[in-house]
Amino acid sequence: MIEGIAAFVAWLGAALLVLSDARRGLALGIALAASGIAIVVWSTSGPTEAALIAIGGAVAATRRLMIGNDAWGVMPPGSTPRLILCIAGGLLALWIGLGVTGGHSAALRFTVLVTLGLAGARVLSSDDAPAQLSSLAVMALAVAAAAGLSSEAPGPWPYAAAALIAAGSGWLPLVRLRAA
Amino acid sequence: MLPEAAELILFAAAALVLAVICVPVALGRRRVLVQGGVGLVAGVAIAIVPTFDLVLLVLCALGAIDASVGRREPLAVRLRAPIVAVAFLTLALVFLRVEGPDVLGRFAAVGLVAGLAAAVGLLPYIHPVVDAEPSDRSSIVWTAFAGPLLGVVVVWRAQSLLPVDAGAAFAAMLIGVGVLNMAWGAVASWLTTTNTAAWRYSFLADWGLVLCGFGVTLIDGRRAALLVLFALMLGRLPLYLAAGAVDAQKSTTERPLNFVVAAALAGAAPFAGFAARVLLLRGATQLFWPLALALALVMLLWLPGSLRLGLSLGSPRGRQAIVVVAVLAINIAAGLYPLPLLSAGRL
Repeated sequence: MIEGIAAFVAWLGAALLVLSDARRGLALGIALAASGIAIVVWSTSGPTEAALIAIGGAVAATRRLMIGNDAWGVMPPGSTPRLILCIAGGLLALWIGLGVTGGHSAALRFTVLVTLGLAGARVLSSDDAPAQLSSLAVMALAVAAAAGLSSEAPGPWPYAAAALIAAGSGWLPLVRLRAA
Repeated sequence: MLPEAAELILFAAAALVLAVICVPVALGRRRVLVQGGVGLVAGVAIAIVPTFDLVLLVLCALGAIDASVGRREPLAVRLRAPIVAVAFLTLALVFLRVEGPDVLGRFAAVGLVAGLAAAVGLLPYIHPVVDAEPSDRSSIVWTAFAGPLLGVVVVWRAQSLLPVDAGAAFAAMLIGVGVLNMAWGAVASWLTTTNTAAWRYSFLADWGLVLCGFGVTLIDGRRAALLVLFALMLGRLPLYLAAGAVDAQKSTTERPLNFVVAAALAGAAPFAGFAARVLLLRGATQLFWPLALALALVMLLWLPGSLRLGLSLGSPRGRQAIVVVAVLAINIAAGLYPLPLLSAGRL
């Protein structure tokens, strides 16, 4: 039950990432997605791995909250296609995660598929650097979560690396250096 | 560590030395050394990490660092390809790890090929190139410097993960994407308007050969792929950087050296590219002879584009001339006696 709710929260966070154009919305999206992934990872891999995911997500969300356009920017005009993408992407991931595939944790399968799909779609559809770096943070956490689907125990390293990438993504320079 | 990967790290280190020599300005040399060093460290990490997940995370980090380093394209444009690659490759991993119908294995193979193409910057996911950008900052450098190690590691790990039928589909898709890149790259490097674009397409064409080598699942295919990667990293890449440095000095000529460079780029004998092409054709003949025929026809398309690129090198002097002569000598040596390179890769 908790896993299911956490997977839903992860979808909500990834959807918010797709639907937001300003720092508060993006930060909330990262925070929700990371929380959902962390809870699902706790139940499949353990508390240490979940804590790493949570720390990485928290740092990324905090940093995103401090830089950029100071607004929520959730669902600005013209967001209908993005909303449809979020709902359709969620349903598709639900079908693949629960109906087509089996074994291990259905919540983990759904969480990985939906966060990867929506974060990837956001990267492809946007030219906005803060939104893309937020997607990068969530995607790194999803990649680490996918390690939990392996038949062998992955250990804490993928989670630590993902947390480092998610946390570091907020510090990448957004202003371009101009070459001569 | 995979022996081929260890060898490619050495190639990358040698390519970095040639690149540093090539850059005309002292400040630029320091920048190339630092950025290339970071790329080299990431390459070593990609080669030595124990799991595919960690490879993807290193790719994530490397893509983000590369996108944030000063280039003319916006960060968002530069970041897109590596992140999409990571998404494709992770989806492929998920499909390989979960239980389900057999078709999931084939979907995983599609994801792996798409992810590999996006990660390296091949068709249909070409990285953008800005004409006015200095050659050492171009995304072409990613394709030729970071791409080879990434390609070898992804293919090696994919082949160890995929079930038999999906493995055959993976090999077939590699050959298909390889032929597409060969044909498109060779024709476009001949007919495109700018020299920068022509160089970019020539790298795609070479990568097409590499993918075909990976797809021909015989030992000759892997040998050919390794030799093409050698020619890519220690032939085409330094020559591209030298051409960029000479272009900056606005000098163009048609000397004998330009025609020798054109022959090296075209994979003519006795350069390393020739040995690679012979091995690839031999492997393709053993696998399915019409494929060898198609490959031979496409290989002929290299000639006009290579001639154009050879002439675009202009009249190198000083450091650039040293690099060009060194590259030609290295490629002749590898072409005449490739056995040490192949033995080091245990091929």
